Amino acid sequence: MARGAVATGAEGSATLKWIAIIGLLLVVAIPCLFIVVQAIFPEFGSGSFAAPFSVFFKTLIDPDLFGLAGNTLLLGVGTMVCAAILAVPLAALRALFRVPGALIWDALLLIPFMIPPYIAALGWIMTLQPRGYLEQLTGIHLAPLLFSVTGIMLIMGLNTFSVVYFVLSRTFETIGARYSDVGRVFGAGQWRSFWRITLPLSMPGLAASLLLVFAMSIEEYGTPAALGRRIGFEVLVTGIENRISEWPIDLPGSATLSLVLVSMALVAFMLQRWLLTRRDYRIVGGKPQAFDKKELGVWTLPVSLLFAFVAFLATGLPILAILATALSRTISGGLKPSNLGLDHFSELLGAGSEGLVALGNSLVLGTTTALLAGLLGAITAYSVVKGRGRFRIVLDALSITPNSLPGVVVAVGIILAWNQPWLPITPYNTPFILLLAYICILLPQPVRYATASLHQLGDNLEASARVCGSGPLKAFVRIVFPLILPSMVTAMILVFAVASRELVASLLVAPVGFQTIAVFIWQQFDQGSAGLGMAMAFCAVLITTLIPLALISLLRWASKGTVAGLR
Amino acid sequence: MKRLSFAALALGLLASTAAHADVTVYSAGPGALIKNLAAGFTEKTGIKANVFQATTGKVMARLEAEASNPVADVVVSASWGTATDFAAKDLLLAYESPNAETVPDFLKMEGAVAQGVAGLIIAWNTESGTPKPADWSDLAKPEYKDLVTLPDPAASGGTYTLVEAFIANDMTDVLQGLKDNGAIVAGANKAALNPVLQGAKAAVFAGVDYITMGAAAKGETIEAIFPESGTVVAPRPIMILKSSQNQDDAKKFIDYVLSEEGQQAVAKVNLMPSRTDIKVDRPLIGDLKLLSNEGAPARDDVLAGFKAIFN
Repeated sequence: MARGAVATGAEGSATLKWIAIIGLLLVVAIPCLFIVVQAIFPEFGSGSFAAPFSVFFKTLIDPDLFGLAGNTLLLGVGTMVCAAILAVPLAALRALFRVPGALIWDALLLIPFMIPPYIAALGWIMTLQPRGYLEQLTGIHLAPLLFSVTGIMLIMGLNTFSVVYFVLSRTFETIGARYSDVGRVFGAGQWRSFWRITLPLSMPGLAASLLLVFAMSIEEYGTPAALGRRIGFEVLVTGIENRISEWPIDLPGSATLSLVLVSMALVAFMLQRWLLTRRDYRIVGGKPQAFDKKELGVWTLPVSLLFAFVAFLATGLPILAILATALSRTISGGLKPSNLGLDHFSELLGAGSEGLVALGNSLVLGTTTALLAGLLGAITAYSVVKGRGRFRIVLDALSITPNSLPGVVVAVGIILAWNQPWLPITPYNTPFILLLAYICILLPQPVRYATASLHQLGDNLEASARVCGSGPLKAFVRIVFPLILPSMVTAMILVFAVASRELVASLLVAPVGFQTIAVFIWQQFDQGSAGLGMAMAFCAVLITTLIPLALISLLRWASKGTVAGLR
Repeated sequence: MKRLSFAALALGLLASTAAHADVTVYSAGPGALIKNLAAGFTEKTGIKANVFQATTGKVMARLEAEASNPVADVVVSASWGTATDFAAKDLLLAYESPNAETVPDFLKMEGAVAQGVAGLIIAWNTESGTPKPADWSDLAKPEYKDLVTLPDPAASGGTYTLVEAFIANDMTDVLQGLKDNGAIVAGANKAALNPVLQGAKAAVFAGVDYITMGAAAKGETIEAIFPESGTVVAPRPIMILKSSQNQDDAKKFIDYVLSEEGQQAVAKVNLMPSRTDIKVDRPLIGDLKLLSNEGAPARDDVLAGFKAIFN
C-alpha cells in the first residue's frame, strides 16, 4: 500500500485494519459464504455438492418473485418516507431550540427500539381491531387502516423513525447554530439558512440513518408477517421466512431470495456512498463550539404537543397495549376491572421461574454484543473512512450486508458454517453462537453511526496527534475514539436493545435448552399464554430502557458535560 | 476479541463433551408437554434429556441445516408428513417400543409412532353473539359474515390435513362458501385464534382442539366444537434419527413417552393419547367421526387448490 503518498490525512493503523478484516471475515463473511453455497448447491446441508443451480434458477424465474420484490421496495420506501416525515422536524426542533423536557422526549423516543416489533404489531392489532382496546374504551376501531399497506408502513415508520431522530439531532447539534448563523449574517432568513446550510450539511447523518431505516424495513419480519399476511401482502422477507419455517423446508430457495434482498440493500448502500462522496461534510475541526440553542417563544406549547403526540403514538400506545394484555387474566374478558390483576407478573417473577433465567441470559448477551459490536464497528468504520486502498469498499459493503439479511437466514448460515463435522471445536450449541449471530446481525448499526461521525471529523486533529509523536493506534484511542464516542454510545444502546430481544435468529440457533427473553415470550404465545408473554415483554422493555438511561446519566456525570452529545 | 473467541472455543468444547451422554430431543410445541416429559424421563431413568423446542417448521429447518453433522437423537413433530418424508430419506431408526402395543396401526409406522394426537375443530367464542355452530358449513352462513378466520394450510399442518380431506371428499364448496362469506386466512394457528379470543372474530375454522381446550381451561370464553360431518386428526410423530450416537437412551425416551405416565402427560395438555387403553375425560380418537384423506392430490396441488379459492 502506498503509504503517505497523499499527505493530507491520516492513513489509519495497520493493526486496526487487520482487526477489522479478521473480525468481519469471522463474523460476517463466513456465514454469508455458506448462504451463497447453499443457494447454489441445494443438497449442501447434508454435505453434498450435487445438482448445482437447480433450485437457484427455479427460484429466480418464479413469477411470484417480482411481486415479492416490488412489495419489498414499496414497503422500504414507504417506511423511509414515514420515518423521515416524523423524524426530521422533531430532530431539527430538538437540536436547534430549547425544547422543554427535551431529555424526557429523548428517553421516550428511545423506547420504540426496546419494543420487539412483533410485540408492537400484536399490541397495535389488539388495540385497533374490532372489539380491541380502542373500541372497548371509545367505541371506534380502525381495522381498515391497520390491515392495509399504508397501515404497515405507518407502524414500521413509527417503529424505526427514532433511528433518524437520534442521528439527525446529533448531527444538527454538531453543526450547531454556528454555520447557519454565518448564513444569517450574510442575510439569509431562518428557514433559508436551515434549508441551504444546516440540512445539506447533515446529509451524511440523514442518508446514513434513512438507509438504515430502509434496510431495517426490508429486513423486518414481525410487522409484515402479523399484518400483511391477512391482506395477502407478502414481501421478500416473509417469503424467505415461510420457506424456512413451513414444512417442507426450502433452504436453497430461501438462500436465493436472501441474495435478492441483499443486492437490493447493496444498491441502496451504493447510492448512499455516492451521495456522501460527492461533497465534503467535515464540520468538526477542533475549534471550540458554543452550543447556543434558541428559545421557542410562543411556539413552546405547540412544539411540546407535537412531541407528546408522536411520543404517545410511538411509545405510549404500544406500551399501554402490552400492559393491558399483561394485566388481563383472559383476553376474552376484556378491560373489565374484574378481569384485571397482577397474576401474570407474579407468575413471571415467582421463585424458580424460567422467565428470570431467560432475562439474565439476554441481558448478559445483549451487553456483550453491544461492547464487541461497538468496538468492531468503530474499528471497521475507521479503517473504511480514514484508510486507503480498495479493500475499504469490500469492508464497507461486508459491514452493511447483514442489515439486509433476514435474521433467520443469518441463523441458517451460522449453523451451516459452525456445525461442520470437520471442525475440531466449535461455538455451536453454546451461548457463544448467539453472540456470533447477534454481532453479525447488528454490526451495521455501530458501523453506520461511526461512519457518519467519522465523515464529519477533519483529518487535522489526528494529524496533529501524529505530529506530536503518537503512533496511529494511540491517535485512534486518544483522539478519534473519544470524539466519536457519543455516536458510539447511541449505537451501542441500540445494539443492546435489539440484541436482548432478538427473536428469529435466536429461535433457530439457540443452544439446546437455552432461553432468551424473546424465545421465552414466543414460547408463551405458542402455548396460548399471551398474558404471561406480554408481562415478560413489559419487564424486558422496562429493563432494556432503564439500563441505557442509567448508563447515559452515569457517563454525563462522570464526564461533567465535557463529552459532546451526552447532554 | 481474540481472547474471547479462545474462551468461546474452550467453552464450546466443554459443553459438547458434557452433552454427549444425554438424550437430545428436538420437539414441536406445546412447550409444557416436552418439558414435563423430559423431567419425568430424567426422574425415572436418571438420563438427562436436553430439549430444543420450536415450531415444526423451525425444528425441521434446524435439522436440515445440521444435516451434515446431526445433533438431535429424538425428534417430535406436529405433522405426520414429516415422518413419512424422513422415512423415505432413510433417516429414521426402526424401533417398535414394547409400550406401543395398544397404539392403533394407523398411528405407527416403521421408524415413527404417535406421541399424541390433535383433532381439528371449530373454535367458537361463546360471547360473540353468534349462534353456536354445529358443522363446518354453518360458518358460511350470513350470521358469521366477516367473522371467521382460518389458519393458512401452508403454515398449519392440521389445517392442511383438513383441506386435503375436503378436497378428497368433494367438500370444497364449503371453503368457497367461507371465502364468499368474508373469512380471512390468518397465518399459523395462534394468529387465527387471537382475533377470536378478543372478539374481533367469532370462530376459527379448522382450529386445533388442544389449544382451544387449553384456552378455555384458562378462563377464555371459547369452546372447541367437533363438527357433525366429521373431522381429521393430526398425529404427532416421535422418531429416533438413525444418525443418533445414543440410540439406546433414545429408545428409552420413546418407551417413557408411551408409558402410562408419559401418556398421562400428553393428556394433561389436552392432546389425545395415542394408546387406546389410556382413559381421559375428553373426546378420544374412537369417539370421533373421521373424514378420509383417500384420493387426495399431492401437497402442491392441495395448496394451489386452496389458494385458487382464497386469493
